[in-house]
Amino acid sequence: MKKGEFDFDAWITRNAKKIGVEPEKLKKAFLEQFEKEKDINAPLDVPDRWIATYRYSYAGQSRFFREILFNKKLCGSKCPDCGKVFCPPRTNCPHCYSKTEWVHLSGKGTVESYTTIFVGTSAAVRKFPFICAYVKLDGADTVICTNIEMDDIAKAHVGMRVEAVFKEDRDGTMTDFYFKPLEGEDV
Amino acid sequence: MRRVAVVGVGTTPFKARWRDKSYFELAFDATKAALDHAGMTKDDIECCVYGIYNDFFERQFQPDLYVHDYLGMAPRPAGGSAIRIGVSEVASGMYDVCLVLGVEKCADLYNYDLQASTPEILKAISYTADMTYEQPTGRTAAASFALAVIAHRAKYGNPTDEQMAKVSIKNHKNAILNPIAQSPKALTLEEILSSKLITYPFRFYDNCLYSEGSAALILVSEDVVHKYTNKPVWITGLGASLDWAFLGNRESLYTFTSSRVAAKKAYEQAGITKPLEEFDLAELHDAFTGTEILAYEDCFFCEEGEGGNLVDAGVVEKTGKLPVNVSGGLIGCGHAVGATGIMQANEVVLHLRQEAGKRQIDGARRGLIQSIGGVGCAWTVCIVFERGF
Repeated sequence: MKKGEFDFDAWITRNAKKIGVEPEKLKKAFLEQFEKEKDINAPLDVPDRWIATYRYSYAGQSRFFREILFNKKLCGSKCPDCGKVFCPPRTNCPHCYSKTEWVHLSGKGTVESYTTIFVGTSAAVRKFPFICAYVKLDGADTVICTNIEMDDIAKAHVGMRVEAVFKEDRDGTMTDFYFKPLEGEDV
Repeated sequence: MRRVAVVGVGTTPFKARWRDKSYFELAFDATKAALDHAGMTKDDIECCVYGIYNDFFERQFQPDLYVHDYLGMAPRPAGGSAIRIGVSEVASGMYDVCLVLGVEKCADLYNYDLQASTPEILKAISYTADMTYEQPTGRTAAASFALAVIAHRAKYGNPTDEQMAKVSIKNHKNAILNPIAQSPKALTLEEILSSKLITYPFRFYDNCLYSEGSAALILVSEDVVHKYTNKPVWITGLGASLDWAFLGNRESLYTFTSSRVAAKKAYEQAGITKPLEEFDLAELHDAFTGTEILAYEDCFFCEEGEGGNLVDAGVVEKTGKLPVNVSGGLIGCGHAVGATGIMQANEVVLHLRQEAGKRQIDGARRGLIQSIGGVGCAWTVCIVFERGF
């Protein structure tokens, strides 16, 4: 190969490092383009990666995640004016525009709707299929999006009673807990 | 043009970093300050416009949806629709001629581990779920609609798998006559019902497609229309609504309030009282077969809970009383997200101009589009088009 001429292998090595994938996988995706598409007017694909890292502040909603992280408890926020209890919480009532107050919730609730996801994203690596559900916690007026783990997923249903289970390893996120069916309490 | 006044302002302190106020809490503080300054309450506000620069900054795609939710502004209209803004520009008298363009690319996203685009597209879409409370649970966009369909089934017993499959057959079949369609197919009930589950209860053929493409239309005022055409198609009704982005904040999980509010407003403007009788065709946002059936109800083609019956009775077939998605819809024609609403509008306009070729609905005089977006149908725009010649 003459100096300065396009070097496919070097291009693969450089770009694999740049976007953080294995060189073999990158090569597989680009082999056809470089071996078969010799026309100078053909389209050209290049690898790229976007990434952003954060130190995200939960700001006024931090207490919700502190309770999960340190105390394995769920809480909501209550409007002092209309009395509505929000879970997920919010610092301000969207109806009265008042500042809300923290209240503890039992961690038990009822499934309002659910679905089973067989094909998902590469953002959340997890075993498939898994259940994603809306659960109204006892004492709350709004509904949270969460996961349910159960032996027979075909038995999931609207109205099912569930309770929160906290993981051993908690990060201060919504996936620190999930729900499991509460035996003998079905609606 | 009417004169426009400012009656209240509010600005939070500008700082290097607000650790004790989130993006949404800052939005709230400025809004509350402006309302207080104007001597108004939230209830005085009729519509909202949000200025947003960078989704990466906010760690949230479509952050306007969540600002709107946090401010409790549902179901007022906000953002979301290019056609709506174009119509506002022309109707206000600000301009006479407006280009409205939608364009989308998605399949440059690529997952090297799986040597496929779809997982990476799904990942990119997932960032439109609320990034704090919902996205971490793995709730996909499809799931946000499946949750509504399951809630509807729990309440009314439908849409059934068979009814959803019939919508899939219809839309794939309609696409056969549409030269721009991505997925023209003659499918059988068995093929659809045996296709793999993607997001219960949606199977492979219940889903729309990811598409790349672009659609444009040109709006002009009635003052200059004679210069350009003797075949005008008028927009006689336009309604929009942005519902609670958190489905959990909605009163009902099994109806799409944004569609109901948008359709009602559009029908009021156009003087429509019996949509099933008065429309000659409709393009509804069939991201999933089940949501097309919910849309029949939310666009008032039938009573709540009866959407499945329209499918069984053949009402929405191309030969039926009110053909729905003659283009093939998102399922048959495709879903180039930012361009889809305009694709739907263009389909209706072609029929009203009698230029729809082999799939022409004969004598079509009035058509509807319902275009939706955001998680679980957070926003809807409904537009009524009428032949003006």
